[in-house]
Amino acid sequence: MLELLLRRCLQAVPLLAILSIVTFAAVLSLPGDPVDVLVGNAQKDMDPQEIQVLRQEFGLDKSPVEQYLLWLSNGVFKGNLGRSYKDGRPVVTIIQERLPSTIRLVATALILAFAVGMFWGLAMVALKQSQLGKWVEAVLFVTALILYSAPGFWIGFIALTMAGRISAFGDVPLLAVHAAGSPPLNPMVAFSALSYVLLPAFVLSLRRMAKIALFVRTATLNELAEEYVTTALGKGLSRVRVLTRHVLRNSLAPIINLAGLSLPSLLGGSVLIETVFAWPGMGRLAVESTFGRDYPMILALVMMYGALVIFSNMAADVLELMTDPRRRDAYLSEIEGARA
Amino acid sequence: MSQARFAISDPRHSSIRMWVGALLIALVFSSALLAPLIAPSKTLLWPVPVNLEAINLPPFSQGHVLGTDLLGRDILAEALWGARMSLVIGIVAAVTAVTFGGVWGALSAFLGGPIDTLMMRCVDGLLAIPNIVLLLTINTILSAGSFCSFPDWSLRFLKVTSFSSGYLPLFTVIVVISATTWLEAARISRSKIQSILLEEYIYSAKALGIGVLRMLFRHLLPNAAPVLLVEATLLVSDAILMEAGLSFLGLGLGPSTPSWGSMLTSAQSSLIEGNWWAVMVPGVLITTTVVGVNLVGEGILEGQGGKRQAA
Repeated sequence: MLELLLRRCLQAVPLLAILSIVTFAAVLSLPGDPVDVLVGNAQKDMDPQEIQVLRQEFGLDKSPVEQYLLWLSNGVFKGNLGRSYKDGRPVVTIIQERLPSTIRLVATALILAFAVGMFWGLAMVALKQSQLGKWVEAVLFVTALILYSAPGFWIGFIALTMAGRISAFGDVPLLAVHAAGSPPLNPMVAFSALSYVLLPAFVLSLRRMAKIALFVRTATLNELAEEYVTTALGKGLSRVRVLTRHVLRNSLAPIINLAGLSLPSLLGGSVLIETVFAWPGMGRLAVESTFGRDYPMILALVMMYGALVIFSNMAADVLELMTDPRRRDAYLSEIEGARA
Repeated sequence: MSQARFAISDPRHSSIRMWVGALLIALVFSSALLAPLIAPSKTLLWPVPVNLEAINLPPFSQGHVLGTDLLGRDILAEALWGARMSLVIGIVAAVTAVTFGGVWGALSAFLGGPIDTLMMRCVDGLLAIPNIVLLLTINTILSAGSFCSFPDWSLRFLKVTSFSSGYLPLFTVIVVISATTWLEAARISRSKIQSILLEEYIYSAKALGIGVLRMLFRHLLPNAAPVLLVEATLLVSDAILMEAGLSFLGLGLGPSTPSWGSMLTSAQSSLIEGNWWAVMVPGVLITTTVVGVNLVGEGILEGQGGKRQAA
């Protein structure tokens, strides 16, 4: 198992390397360099020699390859990815401040999407078996389809306005401005922070929830056509038992894999949802940096998002291998075969 | 056992779903086509006039069937003209993405070896960036670089003057969206072409000493066309959603060009004043279109016996 984990980790390295080269090349190709942006209009009043010194300080007199290697070695070994153009603080510090908020939002959304989506999908399958339930199932199916297709930010600001108007929610500060980077220490604060996250996380999770529900429905219905289901029913087992013990176990592996693969789309969706709910996370930082042309920030954010996604995909793969013995055996024998 | 105890997904249902989807798409398309008849306009870039004396009107008042938005623009007219913009962006971006991605994937599979690895690793690396973040990044790069580097004739062709940005935002939005969505198409095209490369007629074509371009455009891509067509259909819905998201972030078309995305953006601020219609109309239209496109796309896919990558 350990070897498996290590192998997957090694596969992520070239991906990250290519990602960094592509984004670095893209940023280098932009007109104007950090000095132009920093100095701005004051450039014509400055001594050309001073500008030369600044350029050297930023390492801009070197060749692109040297610049890349410098950036990489600074980033990997010193954890220094440059300074933000906007306020001059180190990029890494700013991301460290924003990352926990995003993780809190995305993790809550992932749990919600997975838990409710699974239940929703299984409920649809169970309801489909009875004559009356078919109609309920149809309604649930259409709802899932609509939620999957609707723009998340649209649902977001409708939910926000509605929650703001319902007086029962009056006590909950919906647009709570908690300072970025100050983790709540005492448990009461942590608990109240949970109530801030619920609405945005719920809205963020809706699209994934619907997707997981539809996926679980299809996967389970396909599994029901298998012969072992007939056998189990023939043995006299109840339908509920067949559904939960036999069918669900078999369709679980692809569902877990789907949950891992949900992270990229949740992170992408969080950019819009964070903007709607004024959530002080990485997504809003990305939008702000785009408007501010804060290249080092964008470069670092892209790398951060890339790393998060690559590692979550890896985790999904490993989880799938762990939950599905058939896949694991196939994978292990593949490794053996490659060695022989 | 004569009767199945469990209801299995019924092929008949999938054809019903496809017809429903086709109906929804037909509705949206016809409303886009009928826009000049229902809501005639004088200028192309500003089809819906602003009327600050009649802002945030409720539906069915003073000849505004769906009311007006915060600038007094007729919501129905805006929605109809917006349908044109959104559909044009969706379709053109999807076709561009599938064309580029298709050729990229085909070349990658055809050349094979280290070039194949390099080309596909680039795709994998870019796919690791969540699409909105990639959208933002490409937008930064394009908006910083393109204005200075576009040759004069192309700016004239795109009707860019120093006073108006003309069609350039539309062009940029389409480029940004297709630059983000081609990755999926490249992967699908590569796996399809790889299986085609094992066919016997490819061996015989190779034996005849056929050229690379002829091989690609005569044999490989036409045979992968059905798969790519489905991908293009599904990408239309992604592109429409992305346009809405871009507009919402303030990076899409300007507020003067009606599209469903820019309608949603400007309507957001009138929501506090209780103008629900301005928000509901474009949102429902986007959802309807995306549901329709997804139903048709998945339906065709099911008919082909394939499945889109779960992601």
